[in-house]
Amino acid sequence: MAVSSAANSDSFKTTTPSDREIVMTRLFDAPRDLVFEAMSRPEHVRRWWGLLDERYSVPVCEIDFRVGGAWRFVSRGPQGEAGFHGIYREIDAPERIVFTEIFDPFPDVESVVTSVLKEENGKTRFTVTCLYPSLEVRNMVLGTGMEGGAAISYDRLEEVAAGLQRATP
Amino acid sequence: MAADQLSTTFAALADPTRRAILARLSSGECSVTELAEPFEMSMPAVSKHLRVLERAGLIARGREAQWRPCRLEPAPLKEVAAWAERYRHIWERRFDRLDGYLQEMKAAKEKKHGRKQRRK
Repeated sequence: MAVSSAANSDSFKTTTPSDREIVMTRLFDAPRDLVFEAMSRPEHVRRWWGLLDERYSVPVCEIDFRVGGAWRFVSRGPQGEAGFHGIYREIDAPERIVFTEIFDPFPDVESVVTSVLKEENGKTRFTVTCLYPSLEVRNMVLGTGMEGGAAISYDRLEEVAAGLQRATP
Repeated sequence: MAADQLSTTFAALADPTRRAILARLSSGECSVTELAEPFEMSMPAVSKHLRVLERAGLIARGREAQWRPCRLEPAPLKEVAAWAERYRHIWERRFDRLDGYLQEMKAAKEKKHGRKQRRK
């Protein structure tokens, strides 16, 4: 096994507990309040969300952080812009945020994203549950049954990301 | 451009009969009559589904006048899979970036409260 430079890379897991859900979880070496803050304020969100590598920027990051408030993030990269928007449905600081999410090219496909933060031995476990309108949409998101054996080396990706973090002041 | 192709593909796949047709074609070419057999459906209804799939580029029809076999065209499915993989990578990278950024936030807060809690 290659030694990964990012400490919590092996904590990333994806599961599918029901037909319409994808659950992703990862451990972060930071207190829960800090993770919650990083998720809920635009000046923080634009520093991590949508920055796939150093060629990306987040030109739009609007957050009306209250139940019923809207959010809109745009990621700009080499292939153009990808916009996402939605509405906050539940806010329970510092543990839980539920919002709807629409990817601009598919305005009819609204998913519900539930983020839960739990403290775990001084670290924070961040679990994101994406609920899709149908099994079909979920499977498309996962890419299951379409092209087998497309295993992704997440460790390698994290090393790339860690390298970028070092390169970005 | 890619988004339009994807929308068309998604729309074509958003129907259980059409997915069943594609599943059947994944094991080889079929005539329209053969395709209609497992479905309790009129030929015109099956033909309608086939037209949607053909427009989305998911199937191709043979040119023989009598027996126009349908076959699966994998290219749009591959495009959907590529988009899906990208989406998953996005989450992975979001988390990775957040991990790095949290360390920056922690460092900034420690600096702010440096007099109370000095770092070793």
